Amino acid sequence: MSGRGRRITDEEINELISKLQSLLPESRRRNAGRMSASKLLKETCSYIKSLHREVDDLSDRLAGLMTTMDSNSPQAEIIRGLLRS
Amino acid sequence: MQLTSTFKLVFLKQMLLGVQLSAASSNSMSFHERKNAIKLSADAAIAFARGRTRWSQGLITNLSKNEKNKDILKSLLGRKYDNLRKPYCKSLKIPRSKKILRRCLRMCSRRKKAGRAQHDVCKSVLAKALAKKRIQVLKKLVPGGESMDGFSLLDETLDYAMSLKAQVDVMRRLLKTSKALNIKQMKAWGQGGLDFTAGGHL
Repeated sequence: MSGRGRRITDEEINELISKLQSLLPESRRRNAGRMSASKLLKETCSYIKSLHREVDDLSDRLAGLMTTMDSNSPQAEIIRGLLRS
Repeated sequence: MQLTSTFKLVFLKQMLLGVQLSAASSNSMSFHERKNAIKLSADAAIAFARGRTRWSQGLITNLSKNEKNKDILKSLLGRKYDNLRKPYCKSLKIPRSKKILRRCLRMCSRRKKAGRAQHDVCKSVLAKALAKKRIQVLKKLVPGGESMDGFSLLDETLDYAMSLKAQVDVMRRLLKTSKALNIKQMKAWGQGGLDFTAGGHL
């Protein structure tokens, strides 16, 4: 079973929170001390949203690029090589 | 950790496979279809590369809601598809996870001990309500988040955010490389004048 029966220690919680905080761009910029709970959640939500937007934008641009790609192009050859390995 | 180059390589390979499978480079696709194929491949690929977590399962479940995608996902992920669709043991909403979340939140904010004024009590009630609201938002952002609570929600959020970051990183590099190759190819064509057969030379 998933170890749900065991008690989660304070240390684990602390570690999780500081890992989350160090991931956020805002906290890296200002090198802030501990954020408040709601701020941490807010920043986490904005961060995930911005990552989603980036993936969307990158997909747009990759899609645009692929129109110029055909099966004889060097990109296709490289991709085929990568997939063979 | 998992932002390792192995993860990224597995991700890249899987994503390119997915793109190939959905024939995204074929001329018969519209731009929109192509973009969706790329997004589908990218998302399936992070779930594949990460393995079985709550969010990766939630992600595949969400993607499979579209019947057409389901077929592509099955051929792309193979055995891993079923593995990722297998439900986690039903998460009972035990009061424990609410307690744990409260502990998490308590550890975040500094807490004034003695002599709490009425004002501070109001502030803390507001802060709790705000935190609660934001947790609801977070649950919608993380795939499969609706069934998570407390510690596991935050844990999965961290894991998911790191995977997303790696996804963005690899896609950026793929874009950069593809652009560079395109330019080289165009230059080669340009130099060859109208001789398009010179295009293969890098």
